[in-house]
Amino acid sequence: MRKFLIRRAASSAIVLAMSVVLVFVSIRLLPGDPVLAKLGAATEVTPEALKALREEAGLNRPLLAQLFSWIWNALHGDLGSSYHSQLPVAQLVSERIPVTLELTFFIILIAIIFALILAPLSTHRPGGRVDRIIGYGTSMGLSVPGFVIGIILILVFSLRLAWLPSRGYVPFTEDPVENLKLMILPAITGGLTATPYLVRYLRASMLEIKQSSFVRTAEGKGLSDRRILFRHILPNSLVPTLTMLGLIVGYTLSGVLVIEYMFGLPGIGSLAIESATKRDYAMIQGVSLTIIASFILTTFLFDILCGLVDPRLRLDKGEKSEV
Amino acid sequence: MKFKDRFSFSGTLIILILGVCLACPWVAPYDPYAIGGDIPFAGPSKAHWFGTDDLGRDLLSRILYGGRISILIAISATLIALIIGTLWGVTAGVRRGWIDEFLMRTADAMMAIPQILFALIALSAVGASVYSVPVVVGVLLSPTTARMARSAVVAELNADYVVAATASGVKRSRLIMSEVMPNIAPQLLVQLSINAAAAVMLEATLSFIGLGIQPPDASWGTLMLQGYAKIWNTYWFVAFPALAVTITILAFNAYGERIRVSLDSRRSSS
Repeated sequence: MRKFLIRRAASSAIVLAMSVVLVFVSIRLLPGDPVLAKLGAATEVTPEALKALREEAGLNRPLLAQLFSWIWNALHGDLGSSYHSQLPVAQLVSERIPVTLELTFFIILIAIIFALILAPLSTHRPGGRVDRIIGYGTSMGLSVPGFVIGIILILVFSLRLAWLPSRGYVPFTEDPVENLKLMILPAITGGLTATPYLVRYLRASMLEIKQSSFVRTAEGKGLSDRRILFRHILPNSLVPTLTMLGLIVGYTLSGVLVIEYMFGLPGIGSLAIESATKRDYAMIQGVSLTIIASFILTTFLFDILCGLVDPRLRLDKGEKSEV
Repeated sequence: MKFKDRFSFSGTLIILILGVCLACPWVAPYDPYAIGGDIPFAGPSKAHWFGTDDLGRDLLSRILYGGRISILIAISATLIALIIGTLWGVTAGVRRGWIDEFLMRTADAMMAIPQILFALIALSAVGASVYSVPVVVGVLLSPTTARMARSAVVAELNADYVVAATASGVKRSRLIMSEVMPNIAPQLLVQLSINAAAAVMLEATLSFIGLGIQPPDASWGTLMLQGYAKIWNTYWFVAFPALAVTITILAFNAYGERIRVSLDSRRSSS
């Protein structure tokens, strides 16, 4: 187990380091001057003032030196300060985290519930009518952009039926009921985008488990269908799906960006979009680091979780059993 | 193969969408930029099939012209992804060793950055235009293409004919170009179709959050952004572009799926 942990931690750390460097370098190498962006096009700038500002921001130092000092500071919890509001990036980001966390939690919850209902229905009679309908549904779901689902939900539930609000945010601590009401549509939007992936994966692994000999034994000794499904098939097919869930959390983070923006939720996603529109590079870097790190951390945790649940997964492919 | 039969019209649908959108100057009933042609927010009628937008412009014409931008971006992004991704993946698959390791870790790192976020970073730096968006989208789609190309090449290189050709002294570069590449072409075609769907979706998403195509140019995503802002006035405005995007993505995905299924059945029957 320890070897497995170390290996996974090392590869996650490498991917994290590389993607951080990638973000940093692409921001710096692409044309577009952060200082000019900060000053805005409207003001007249003298070359001297520009140079002074560059020096102040440390932008005239070599790229590598900038990269290392940024990483060093980031490791100490200092992500620099926003070009616009001059407030520390770390503070602005952490203020937004609870919103995104809450939304992501509900999205995953909804996706899991849907998958746990649809996949067993689908595998009950593979190739049957229900299975085919669910199959078409998931292919459709994979092709519909998240924000289109959001638009449909708003059209139906906010405009037509006027049941739910379509925009805004109230902290849970202030008004729990209103907070949940505002979360429903965004959460369903995200949940519906994540569901097809989960259903497909869970269905495939359930079908595979169904073929295995222990299920035949269970059938042979006369257990009821329900008992076989809940005690034998589902628990065993959840393990591979767990790995998938880690990835889905990652994709969800990408979708959350758009969902937060369209439903006016003040989370990390809308912060990222705001700072990109304002060309606030310090903010973009900080936000990217947060999002990427949390994605890699989630996949890492899910990997470890799978390793805990199923010892077979702790081995690399090709490595022979030593457990 | 019921699934296959039922979706065999996806290829026709793609050609139809491409044709209508690329021929928009001849097909579109009105000038998409002419303001005040008719009453704003008019519902669908005989004169305006899809109604009019907030400035009284014909929505059908705007969707056709927007489609041309969306489709052209999708095509160029897909080609960029194909070129970069194939070079990337084939190099990794052929060279192996530390080059393979480095190239594939880079692909992992790129895929660890959420696509929208990556596009956001790049577009805020270079500025969004009809030229930068396809490049960014193409680069974004290349790591998945590279992974696919690599695994296809690695599988091919283990085949008997490669061993035989190597043994008979065929030069490796020739072997790759004239034997291996044609063999992985069908798999690349599947990826091409999936990439086209992903490109349409990404472009629409980016334009929808205001970081893609900027007015007065309008892609489907831009139209949806404008329609979404006016959702309380009329729902036609946002619904029709959304429908266009969804149908296009669906067609590309279904087509890719169809080729994949027929490839699989050919492989398993042989």
